[in-house]
Amino acid sequence: MNNQGNVAAQNKFATKTEWDLIKAVQDGNKQAYHMLYQQYIGRVYGLCYRLTGDKMLAEDTTQEVFIQLWRKIGNYKGDSKFSTWLHTVASNITISYLRKQKSWIQNIFNIEDSVAMNAEAEASSCSVDLEGHIIRLPERARIVFVLHAIEGYRHDDIATMTGMAVGSSKAQFHRAKQLLKEWMGND
Amino acid sequence: MTNSSFEQKLEKQLTEIKEEKQPEKDLWQGIELALTHDPRLQETNTNSLVGKKLHLLVATVAVFGLIGWLSLNYQPNRLSGEDLVRALSEQHVKQKEALLVTFQDQPALTENWQQQLSELDDAADAIKMALKNEPNNMALLRMLQSVHQQQINLIERVHSPKWSQI
Repeated sequence: MNNQGNVAAQNKFATKTEWDLIKAVQDGNKQAYHMLYQQYIGRVYGLCYRLTGDKMLAEDTTQEVFIQLWRKIGNYKGDSKFSTWLHTVASNITISYLRKQKSWIQNIFNIEDSVAMNAEAEASSCSVDLEGHIIRLPERARIVFVLHAIEGYRHDDIATMTGMAVGSSKAQFHRAKQLLKEWMGND
Repeated sequence: MTNSSFEQKLEKQLTEIKEEKQPEKDLWQGIELALTHDPRLQETNTNSLVGKKLHLLVATVAVFGLIGWLSLNYQPNRLSGEDLVRALSEQHVKQKEALLVTFQDQPALTENWQQQLSELDDAADAIKMALKNEPNNMALLRMLQSVHQQQINLIERVHSPKWSQI
């Protein structure tokens, strides 16, 4: 990117300090990367936690995100806000990680519904906040709900990211909302 | 709960969700460990190592090249010629004059030493004449050096004490 492009990106999408930090990381500066990590760990972990619904998985995926981000950050050209770009990268890595982690048994028998039923029992037994309800959603419904309602992705984007059909994404979102309505109505 | 009230409640709670959430343990150590073994970092390290090796190689080649070039250009037959003969002659004259100054107060052991010195000068001039035609002739250069050395030896010998000659 030329200097003019750098300045434009700086003005539009990042403060000078953040842009300098990103450039330093792109040049392979690990100290700068640690600073970037400290700046974004909360947002990345928050996203990973909501997508996975599990603290340990969220920790694993967060680490995976930052390991892969180190390799991918050279692709960031300043065409969008860094946090937006980072969230896309983090979402894709987390979804991919979940796919790899998911056993073939889960794929064949789709046992996430039984997990959801257990979660439903837990959720109805005590009063929890929205985040507590979200992490109890079945995996696919949770991922779609987080990406659409919280991260602001469109269903066709979600379909691309998750590999499901656009209609499935909409159906999962509807399902998530129905479950949330049910649980929140019991609060 | 009606649909509209649920939508309102959901909307409100979504805006209240804290985007940031801190992990319970420090994840940086694991990340840093992975980065240490990351190919990109290794590539960087390798590049810098290759760079250093390359610099060393270039420096080595440059040194050997310079030595080679000097060796080739320092060969007597290459440097011979009028410049070399002039340089040798100037050096010899300085050495000879310094010796004569040193021994100027000492009596000479023979009377005809200056004649011998002059004959050697003539011999040196004859060789220099020959070198003008054949500046790269090593035999002539050695002869010139030999004549110069004979003059130095002559001066030293005729001015040395007798006991040292025994």
